[in-house]
Amino acid sequence: MTDSALSQLLGLAIGTALVCAYVVLWRSRLISIVRAIAVQGAAVAVVALTLGLHEHSVEPVAAAVGVFALKAVIIPMLLARWIRQSEELREVDPLINIPASLLAGGLLTLFVYATARQVANLGSDSASRAVPAAIAIVMLGLLVMTIRRKAVTQVAGFLLLENGIALVAFLTTSGLPLLIELGGALDLLLVVLVLHVLAGRMVSAFGATDLNQLQELRD
Amino acid sequence: MSAGTWGLAFAAAAGGIGTIAALVTVGPTRRWLVGILSGLSAAAGGATAILVLVGHGPVTVHLPQILPLAGVELNLDALGAVFVLAVAIVALPASIYGIGYTAHGLNRRSVQAMYPLFIVSLLLVPAAASVSTLLLLWEAMALTSLVLVAAEHRERSEVREAAWWYGSMSHLSMIAILMALVVFAGHAPGETFEALRMSGRHLSSSTRSFVFVLSLVGFGTKAGVVPLHVWLPRAHPEAPSHVSALMSGAMVNLGIYGVLRVTWDLLGGGPIWWGITVLFVGVTSALFGILHALVARDLKRLLAYSTSENMGLILVAVGAAGIYSSSGNPMLAGVAITAALLHIVNHAAFKGLLFLGAGSVVAATGTRDLDRMGGLLARMPVTGAAFAVGSLAIMALPPFNGFVSEWLLLKSLVQGLPASSVAISVTMPIAVGAVALTGGLAAAAFAKAFGTGFLARPRSPQVEAAAEVGGTMQTGMVSLAVACLGLGLAPFALLDVLRRAGAALPSLWGGEPVRSVGVTLHTGGLTGSLSPLFIGGGLILLVVLIPVVLRLLGVAGRRRVAENWGSGRSLQTARMEYTATSFAEPLQRVFDDVLRPEFDLAVTHTAESRYYVEAVRYRVGIVDGFETHVYRPLIRVAKRWGEMSRWVQNGSIHRYLAYLFVALLIVLLVSQ
Amino acid sequence: MTVPAAVGALIQVTLVIAVAPILTGLMRATRAKLEGRAGPSVVQPWRDIRKLLHKERIKPEYSGWVFLLAPRVLLASGLMVVVLVPLITTATALGGSGDLFAVVYLVLLGTVFLVLAGLDPGTAFGGMGASRAITVAALAEPAFLLAIFALSVRAGSSSLATIVDSVLAEPRSLASPGSLLALAAVSVVVLAESGRLPVDNPSTHLELTMIHESMVLEYAGPDLAVVELASQVRLTIFLGLIANLFAPWGIAVTTHPADLAIGTGVVVAKLALLGVVIATFEVFVAKMRLFRVPELLTAAFILAFLAITMSFFLT
Repeated sequence: MTDSALSQLLGLAIGTALVCAYVVLWRSRLISIVRAIAVQGAAVAVVALTLGLHEHSVEPVAAAVGVFALKAVIIPMLLARWIRQSEELREVDPLINIPASLLAGGLLTLFVYATARQVANLGSDSASRAVPAAIAIVMLGLLVMTIRRKAVTQVAGFLLLENGIALVAFLTTSGLPLLIELGGALDLLLVVLVLHVLAGRMVSAFGATDLNQLQELRD
Repeated sequence: MSAGTWGLAFAAAAGGIGTIAALVTVGPTRRWLVGILSGLSAAAGGATAILVLVGHGPVTVHLPQILPLAGVELNLDALGAVFVLAVAIVALPASIYGIGYTAHGLNRRSVQAMYPLFIVSLLLVPAAASVSTLLLLWEAMALTSLVLVAAEHRERSEVREAAWWYGSMSHLSMIAILMALVVFAGHAPGETFEALRMSGRHLSSSTRSFVFVLSLVGFGTKAGVVPLHVWLPRAHPEAPSHVSALMSGAMVNLGIYGVLRVTWDLLGGGPIWWGITVLFVGVTSALFGILHALVARDLKRLLAYSTSENMGLILVAVGAAGIYSSSGNPMLAGVAITAALLHIVNHAAFKGLLFLGAGSVVAATGTRDLDRMGGLLARMPVTGAAFAVGSLAIMALPPFNGFVSEWLLLKSLVQGLPASSVAISVTMPIAVGAVALTGGLAAAAFAKAFGTGFLARPRSPQVEAAAEVGGTMQTGMVSLAVACLGLGLAPFALLDVLRRAGAALPSLWGGEPVRSVGVTLHTGGLTGSLSPLFIGGGLILLVVLIPVVLRLLGVAGRRRVAENWGSGRSLQTARMEYTATSFAEPLQRVFDDVLRPEFDLAVTHTAESRYYVEAVRYRVGIVDGFETHVYRPLIRVAKRWGEMSRWVQNGSIHRYLAYLFVALLIVLLVSQ
Repeated sequence: MTVPAAVGALIQVTLVIAVAPILTGLMRATRAKLEGRAGPSVVQPWRDIRKLLHKERIKPEYSGWVFLLAPRVLLASGLMVVVLVPLITTATALGGSGDLFAVVYLVLLGTVFLVLAGLDPGTAFGGMGASRAITVAALAEPAFLLAIFALSVRAGSSSLATIVDSVLAEPRSLASPGSLLALAAVSVVVLAESGRLPVDNPSTHLELTMIHESMVLEYAGPDLAVVELASQVRLTIFLGLIANLFAPWGIAVTTHPADLAIGTGVVVAKLALLGVVIATFEVFVAKMRLFRVPELLTAAFILAFLAITMSFFLT
């Protein structure tokens, strides 16, 4: 593949990842959110793969395979099963309504674009230029975690955050050392499992996974 | 004396004679004399403006003997002339309209005497060429309009409240402008604009920013920008309608004039955040204004909020021009400033028209409540048609004038993007999104105003009995409607002369931003052209041709009038129609978070059984959030301070003497 | 304005008028086939129009000139767009008379008149349709204009012919995230503005769920024929716009008769293809609840917004 074709592929993959983050903000059906997360995981894998091919190194390719298996297949499957079990199909009543949260997301992206350049002092090649998009995904993940109530959407927000960080790492240094990457992945799996157990307990205690009800534990 | 000087002198003289005539005559003579003389004054002002715009300017007048110490300095350059032209476009038809309109209880000495003075001050403010002259004329404008707003204070208590709000906000505006200009003049060799202009660029950046911020607050209040707009939706509806037309079509523009004159002429432009600030003030005003216009039930309140919106759009263009100019792109700034100036003239025409139309409705029906109107087009065909033209123009639809300036505005925002500056690439998408949303909501708001006010069937007896207004009022409205169409089809005539106005703002102008080749407009920067004459003319031609073609196809020409089908419903009453409130309800629901409406649903049951509903009463009220959350608390605080200061001011002459004594001692102490 | 260019524009107008009802017929036939019905022939819309033209003209009791003018303005604004848009050839000099922004406002003009016509007879259903239609139009406009913004930035021009030419010169630019997002945004806007599923159901006859159809309930005979034709023309323009902005291959760049003939054939094929795709899509989706539509349009707005910002991030 030529360089320009590679950079175009890179652009498409990162674009897909960013759009998936907005899909998480937009859709209220939990299963659609999980699908968007899966597609985003695949897009992150494609980014890693592209960079690996570009630099003819094996490590990012291996990371890509790992990312794909974990983020595009295993975790989404776990989440989907969880949704089927809990019978909570929709994020019914988000803290901010959907059009407003979409607009907030749009402004957030512009804000990141305006500020990230000075922070990161980036080069002008296509990988560096895409870093703000990755940071925007991190921010959108945080946004999702702040404005959504359900446990599944919390996990989705966390996964967005994770994917964004992974993207930043790939784009700036062409990938973390494989070991760290693996450690991070295991952490992620752990978080999902812990939240799964927590959510199960919450359902049996409160009948739903609305995280706001955790406030009651304070007293 | 040059022709221009004669023009200004004639305008002032006609206004002065009008005031004297109002004082000494009575009855219909007074109405006619005031109307004709004010109209002549406006016409003379307009003619002078055109003279200046086609290149016979600037018009300069020194009257050293009038004001002590300073004297009156007038200098009408091309920039001011655009605003004088906008004033004249509304003032001439409004004065003719006023002849008929004031017949209904408004032919009082105080009101009629102020009207010509108000027009003269509006015409002269853009010609002021020194700080003291500007402040003098500005205050004259504020005071005369205040008297006019309060015209009907004996009839309705809301008028008094509106006048209070208007008076207070006018004073706030005056104080801010006074501080800005006095500080500015203090750092300059003199107080004429010439002197300010020479020193403007050399002031320290903190002084410059101080002057910018205060003048933006002061002039912005006059322009009715959010959050300084609170007087506008109160004062404009309560004023007599020909005065509302002048205030909304002409007076608010002078706020924009002040911002342009002080910031980009006298100070000579500034850092990029000035432009960004102005742009975001504009974006906020545009969106907030149009959202409240959308849900307003009071026809004139709707128009007033839409004035806030349009001033917002103009400030978006001005801010964009500032951003372009600060990032070294004067040609793009020129496109934006052309859009702003063109929209000012266009807005004057269609907003004047809409207020005159609303005035006719009020005169004929006695109500401003859209939910009680309906069916007025059949009862008032001329007013209805004129209001339709104004609505289509303000929706920015071809072939009317709003279309051209909105096109230019969008074009000026879009074309900046290939530039690499971060500020431009972050602000412009937001600006385009906001302007586009404003445009869509404006279409909804005015479809509501015309559709539920003038179409279908009347929803109240007094509207049922409405009749068309008299000849002078019709003349006023029709002439503005013609202006809307003319400016929509042939804007190139005006665009060519706007070039001179742009040249008066050298920091915002470069190259040839907008040029017309034949009847087609081209903009610099991003290519893409528009021929309003072709599009408008083509539309009109097609609308005429379609029935001809149908006739050729053998379609019968006559229509049989039949009962409404209404999906097979046999009974049709006006109570089944969509009202203005219900028409806007879906959009109101979408913007719930911003508008925060208050609902009230009351269901009463019959006495026999609570399963039978007797009546369902649904009430929705929307209040201006800034008023309840910003101004009310401020007023409370001010009141508390007022109460506290009462013990200082207790009427005892001895205590006042003691104050004087203490003050003298402090002065002696400080001057050591 | 040169003679061949004017001829090109005239051919476009004739073609669109001829093809528009057949496109609608094709979409209905596709749907019928997929749903296992026999369905009417593809030229049925033309037969309907012919039949309607020979019926009596009726004016509802309380309506005025707005009601009578609306069908004409709707059709005239549609035809005006056809003159400006490059469908067969980019070489129509008339294209210089208006760019994409002008197209948006011409479309809005038609919508506004239809809304007013819905209010004019004073029936409950007309008002309901009008209120809903203006809601959709008001929220679709920002998405539409931002998508145009994204497209014009890419081509350095808001002129339709230049945008099409720039894609022809550099087809790879289409595969950029910016272009794809703009395509997605424009598609949503088109579905909303032309009253297709999932925003409005063009084939429903249940008044409470309708938008477009309930505004035109009071029209009959020749006036209804004009309204129908105008709606079909609008749909054709929208699909033609999508086809030529995002897949312009085959469009004539000169006014040579042979090129024009090829251009005509290609655009008809593209329209047919898009029509079949949309009809197939409509079989699988249900109509959205009205208050979910703003969410869809906000999403379109954000897509268009991203289309612009992505051009900063990504090549």
